[in-house]
Amino acid sequence: MSQDPLQELRDQLRGDPPDALRTLSEADLRHLTEAIRTARVRQAAALEHAAEQGFSYVPRLLRGPIRRILR
Amino acid sequence: MSVGYQSIEVRAELLKLARLLGRAPDELAYLEAVGPAELRALREQVTEALFDSHLGALNRLASASRLLPVAVVAQMGEKVFGALLSARITGLLDPDRAVEVAARLPDGFLADVAVELDPRRASAMIARIPADRIAAVTRELLARGEFVTMGRFVGHLPDASLQAAVEVSGPDDLLQVALVLENKDRLGHLLGLLGPERTDQILEAADRAGLGLEARELLEQAGRDDGSPRPG
Repeated sequence: MSQDPLQELRDQLRGDPPDALRTLSEADLRHLTEAIRTARVRQAAALEHAAEQGFSYVPRLLRGPIRRILR
Repeated sequence: MSVGYQSIEVRAELLKLARLLGRAPDELAYLEAVGPAELRALREQVTEALFDSHLGALNRLASASRLLPVAVVAQMGEKVFGALLSARITGLLDPDRAVEVAARLPDGFLADVAVELDPRRASAMIARIPADRIAAVTRELLARGEFVTMGRFVGHLPDASLQAAVEVSGPDDLLQVALVLENKDRLGHLLGLLGPERTDQILEAADRAGLGLEARELLEQAGRDDGSPRPG
């Protein structure tokens, strides 16, 4: 059985949402929660892509030290 | 707050939240019944959640960038990181270095970053950008109709930058920005910089746009401002 939609939103926000959101339907709460989750996933993918692609711009001598910082 | 004014504020908040989530504002239409103050609180929570969820990785990228020449950081920002990640990392860079990086980036890309940036996290950097550059990016944002973005920055700009921005803006532009201003407590100070003649022009623009009531309501709010100048 799926979790309480308000609790799912709380988990994504890592805190209590504003009280006015309690009036939203279950479907709307789930949509909002999913939108936040997707944004987080997209941000993670963008970070991974940047860390991989960025190396082609880094001068060869600095690649080692930078790799150590990013680890 | 009148219904018309509240609805302008709600639309502006929904646009900001939709951008943060990478969604079209229509997809969040179910939030229209939520008041602007609570929508803003929700947006701030989402901003924190997204930022904090990758803070470690963002901090590592910011640390790594210190080893690189400014020109390389600028190139990577534009070609690899893009506007979204550049906006997230900006506030983690040393403000003076971030300004040096910005100096090497085109106005169009800086406008892209401004759309994604949380100005509260990059206030020190924003305050250090030369006024003529602020004017150039303002022109770019105006050309795109990015009044909501401009409204988020007003509270973070020192007077010289604000002055430069208003000089390249027409009364219709200033009206649109004023209506969606994020730090409304700064409105009185902004109007002080504009002077009575330009304020009257904005009111005329509001009357032409059928927004006279909303604009006057805003002016009433501005009457409660302390008028003190911005730091920086």
